Amino acid sequence: MARSAAQGFSWRQLRVMLRVIMRGEQHLDSTGMGLGDDDAPRKGFWGGLGSGVRKVAMGFLFLLLAAVFFMMGYLMGEVGVTPYVAFSLCVVCLVGLTVLTGLYQAVNILYFVRDLGYYLTLPVSATTVMWAKLVHFLGMSLLGDLIILPVGLGCLLAVGAAPGTWVAMTLAFLLSAVAVNLALVIICVPLMRFSRLAHDKDRFSRVFGALIVVFALAVGVGSQFALQGDGLASLASGSEQLLSGGVPAVVMGVLCPPSLLARTVVEGDVLVVVGGLLGMLACVAVYAVVLSAVARRWYFEGVQALQGAGGKRGRRVEGTELAQATRTRGAFAANLSRDWKTLVRVPVFFNQFVLSSLLMPLYFVVIMVASGFVGFSQASEAGIEPMDLLEMARSLTALLTFDSPALAWCAVGVLVFGLFLGFSAYSFTMGVSRDGEDFFFMRGLPMDWGAYLASKFVVPFALSTVPMLVLIVAALVVLGVPAAAGLYLVGIYLGATVALGLLSLGLGALFPRLTWDNEAQLVKGGGATLMVFAGLLVGAAVMALPALALLAGALWEVLAVPVALGLALAVFVAECAALVWWVLGPCARSLSRRER
Amino acid sequence: MIRIDHVSKSYDGGATCAVRDLTLEIKSGEIFGLLGPNGAGKSTLLNMLAGVLAPTSGEIELDGVDIAADPLAAKRNLCYVSDSPDHLLRLKGHEFLRFIADVYEVPDAARGPRIAELAREYGMEGELDNQIQSYSHGMRQKMMIMGALLPDPAIWILDEPMTGLDPKASWLLKQSMRRHADAGKTVLFSTHVLDVAEKVVDRVGVIAHGELLFVGTVDEMREHFKSNGSLEEMFLELTSENSPFAEEAK
Repeated sequence: MARSAAQGFSWRQLRVMLRVIMRGEQHLDSTGMGLGDDDAPRKGFWGGLGSGVRKVAMGFLFLLLAAVFFMMGYLMGEVGVTPYVAFSLCVVCLVGLTVLTGLYQAVNILYFVRDLGYYLTLPVSATTVMWAKLVHFLGMSLLGDLIILPVGLGCLLAVGAAPGTWVAMTLAFLLSAVAVNLALVIICVPLMRFSRLAHDKDRFSRVFGALIVVFALAVGVGSQFALQGDGLASLASGSEQLLSGGVPAVVMGVLCPPSLLARTVVEGDVLVVVGGLLGMLACVAVYAVVLSAVARRWYFEGVQALQGAGGKRGRRVEGTELAQATRTRGAFAANLSRDWKTLVRVPVFFNQFVLSSLLMPLYFVVIMVASGFVGFSQASEAGIEPMDLLEMARSLTALLTFDSPALAWCAVGVLVFGLFLGFSAYSFTMGVSRDGEDFFFMRGLPMDWGAYLASKFVVPFALSTVPMLVLIVAALVVLGVPAAAGLYLVGIYLGATVALGLLSLGLGALFPRLTWDNEAQLVKGGGATLMVFAGLLVGAAVMALPALALLAGALWEVLAVPVALGLALAVFVAECAALVWWVLGPCARSLSRRER
Repeated sequence: MIRIDHVSKSYDGGATCAVRDLTLEIKSGEIFGLLGPNGAGKSTLLNMLAGVLAPTSGEIELDGVDIAADPLAAKRNLCYVSDSPDHLLRLKGHEFLRFIADVYEVPDAARGPRIAELAREYGMEGELDNQIQSYSHGMRQKMMIMGALLPDPAIWILDEPMTGLDPKASWLLKQSMRRHADAGKTVLFSTHVLDVAEKVVDRVGVIAHGELLFVGTVDEMREHFKSNGSLEEMFLELTSENSPFAEEAK
């Protein structure tokens, strides 16, 4: 009897569980607005910053992006895109983004939570626990999804649609968002019950995270080409075709059934719109019932399968092998090795800091090769031999000398590229924070904090800067840039990236975030998003003076070009020297005194 | 030797006082047991001795080295086992020990045999190639203790070191502590397990509300209380709300 009672769903228990999960459980914040953070006062920079300020900052960022999407939708409406086509784009993006990140997040929220083992001991049904966790997840997820809706609303403004259409589109979008999230969880529950891969959290996170990173980069590369020609309008029309028939429409219909009723809701008259919305609601209700049945059958079984999973055993290491494995290293090497092993073995860190850094050059290579291919094809069509085109480019780069403004402009181009790399400066900023509570263990050791910080610089530098450097050198060689000018550009690139890395690392050491429960909290959510954008500001700060020096020679002509070039490089050298002193001195000292 | 001179630690601008004007000297060749109820200030005090927390006021010397003035030199003289063994979980056992040996600059010739010996003693030979995250709580605790014993410094500071250890490991640790003290070095550990304290320590200190209520041998404690009862009974009397010591502390 007790067993069957525990299998049932209870609204009262749902409310209790929801309250506990919202207040006491650590979770991801998919909106990136700090909504998932606890209200407990926190020390240090992050605590000092306050959740209110963080929410305002993230709200501003959210509104900024929403405004950009709204403008995109408005422009699409201006060039004749219909509201239904714009809404199709919203739905396709919604489904794409949810598939990209939703399954991973759903698994994290529903399964990879410490407290689940405890919930298993309580007389609460699997359906109730699952719904309590899901309601909480959906609340945050829908807020994040809303960022896409302004594309459709902007289009409505451009075509002067009635207020009722705005309401209908908003409701249709929300129902679509709920449906696609429910669909993913319906897939996720049996997957977690029966998949061996899913039972090894590390392996699952690594494989799934890698898929997400690769897919995200593929979308990035693809969008470079998709946005050529008619741009947004062609993208929107492609989305409409996805919903209009064939296999893609079936896939969309399974993942997000309300999307099939989108045309009736956006373009129909009042009765048809109401009917369409009711149809969407019915689809959501059916998915909710299916999910309840699936959860009742397999949710707790999946959770139980996870408990005690993992624990891979290693070999016995002894004798000479043990002596070899524990031979002496210096403080720098010891810290570097420890940091690297942690980085590679924590899946979230591996995907975020190693894999994405290594794939970034690949992203550029693909873009460069594809652009070159397109360029050569167009040249061939115009009757120009590809090799002639290359020779033409080489004859231009041969003019890059130290008294030519073109070299100064190239250096400015390198700085702009360096500024773009500011997005990856976050790898340096998070260097100390990645250690979390382990940092306080190391505080008890006779640690050389200078060596510790030096090791924290080397890993992201090797991962993000060096591969790009190889690419730049290859491009300079292919384009036939004179050796001296090429070396100068490499020097400017190194100056910019080293200064950016050092400043980011130092700031991360002065204001580390060491109190987190799981690694995903550190690299996702509001704080992390702010850090990524802060990287651009840091980049702008270190590159401002050299850029001014270069522009003084190339644009304003107040300095002779050779003087401007020399000054820019000298400023970088001075900046790097000062930053090395700052990181190894004050920043290292601040770590040696840091308390919980 | 450990010298603690009028050390205080407060938080929230002085609103919360975790340790209050504590003075204590622990001699070389001595095992000193720090007893106290939960929240008494034991871990705060040990964290200050290990250099993890800085005292709000007062001085701490470890073998004559002021930990505030020269933290690196002071820390090379001590090894600290904190109350949680969940550290550097992604490292394998031998990688963790190598890291510790590197940080403490344990010579190549000494570290290999010492690691092998510790692994054998604590029954961890077959576990060194596994990541610490795959260990049970007791195995993690053993690994932290092995890390602390590996450099063999003059001072050992251990916060609840017996928690989670199996009887053999617990006995081994007590033997190690005795040997260490008999070699003229210093051992300071905190514990809730009064039975352990009674059998191992040379002197005990009882701390409550951040203040040291009593320092002396177990026999002196008995004499003080005119009691033939167990240390547990004396401890309860000493730290109870009605204790004259607790009243003074307030």
